[in-house]
Amino acid sequence: MTWWCAASNEPWDWSPRAYPGIWLFMVLLLVGYLWVCRERPDRRKRWFFLGGWALLWASTDWPLGTLGSGYLASAHMAQYLLYTMAAAPLLMLSLPEAPLRRGLSRLRAYRLVRLAARPLVAGVIFNIVLLVTHAPVTVDTMRTNQAGSFLLDLAWLASGLLLWLPVCGPLDELKPSYPARCVYLFLAAGLVPMVPGGFLTFAPTPLYSVYELAPRVGGFDALDDQQAAGVIMKVGNLPLLWPVLGGLFLRWAAEDRAATPPVQVKTADKT
Amino acid sequence: MVTGRGSDASGDDAWGGTLVEPALARPDFTLTDTDGRPYDFGAETAGRLTLLFFGYTHCPDVCPVHMATLSAALDTPGMPDPTVVFVTTDPTRDDPARLREWLDQFDASFVGLTGTAEQIAAAEDAARVGRSAPIPTEDGADAGDGTDYQVGHAAQIVAYTPDDQAHLVYPFGVRRQDWVNDLPRLLDQWDEPA
Repeated sequence: MTWWCAASNEPWDWSPRAYPGIWLFMVLLLVGYLWVCRERPDRRKRWFFLGGWALLWASTDWPLGTLGSGYLASAHMAQYLLYTMAAAPLLMLSLPEAPLRRGLSRLRAYRLVRLAARPLVAGVIFNIVLLVTHAPVTVDTMRTNQAGSFLLDLAWLASGLLLWLPVCGPLDELKPSYPARCVYLFLAAGLVPMVPGGFLTFAPTPLYSVYELAPRVGGFDALDDQQAAGVIMKVGNLPLLWPVLGGLFLRWAAEDRAATPPVQVKTADKT
Repeated sequence: MVTGRGSDASGDDAWGGTLVEPALARPDFTLTDTDGRPYDFGAETAGRLTLLFFGYTHCPDVCPVHMATLSAALDTPGMPDPTVVFVTTDPTRDDPARLREWLDQFDASFVGLTGTAEQIAAAEDAARVGRSAPIPTEDGADAGDGTDYQVGHAAQIVAYTPDDQAHLVYPFGVRRQDWVNDLPRLLDQWDEPA
């Protein structure tokens, strides 16, 4: 029984494959969320959750999960992007404040979360996870077994949630100012990932044996596939990142406008 | 005898392929190429860097990946120009036209050879690779036209150097970079005809 997507060396075809472990994980996530939110259901947050949950499932399960775990580096990268740039922010927006505070207090984890939510800490951890989980040795080791593949997916999700915690988390005191959030997001999620993306794009030979030696999908050459993965890593996040940065900037402008007292215009007395 | 991946006889840099000791002599066998002409392997390739592989065009995994990896490596600037010979282990389905079409996906210069099952078995024996054999598909389903089977075959590419010996073989799992590293070294190290 294959519980989680992992490299199998079977030729690729479009027949659906079943991964009960993924289904179980998704059901537990859904049930857990509904249980946590049972007291004060918030319609808007539920929609955020549903969107994030659906994207998480779509990027983990067949076909994208299967392709990304054992066939195409570009699919692997698309998965990563969906996890960290789409599913994670939506799931972060869906978190209810009161149950989260209670949970953190019960687990005595608030100080840890406050520390992790500092932009410098969150940004560094996010990029360390990015670098480590895309290193050839990690991918070639983890993607070839189900437990490793599961851990890789989990690390992506956790690092994505951490990235967005200071930006759109439910705990307002952990969020820095709007301009600080803009700078943080630009550096942590926009600028730094361009470096490994560049390595992938311009490497002269395939870096990941798991994708180089996988049965080919549609005659897609391993090096072309890797270059596509590099491009996805470099610029795939921009369609989400720039609108978010724009939104943060507009909020900052609105906040600034509201805080500035109206200018008194005095008219000169005519004599 | 295959001695495993690692350093060469002098203990220098590791090879991407697997060292064979004692080296295998370049075999003599004659099969038919994709133009329908007899191809005397020993005579046609003597003194040349030659890569010999036994496989089949319906192969779902090993053959296309091995060939794609090799052809991509050969496209790298500065690579030598070896003779690549692909012998089908599935002469029933791999007629010369199909063999040619399949090889052209990778490189039009790759030589495709076919023959009777007995001739191919003799060539495998001469090259000292395991004999191939048809195996039913996993689900046991039969397409009804006798085409629903796979072929178990040797998965290594045998590299014959100009001294007409094979000092290394390249099992499945060898990567593009391994070929790029090894091919020039094969010529440098064993460049004299025996």
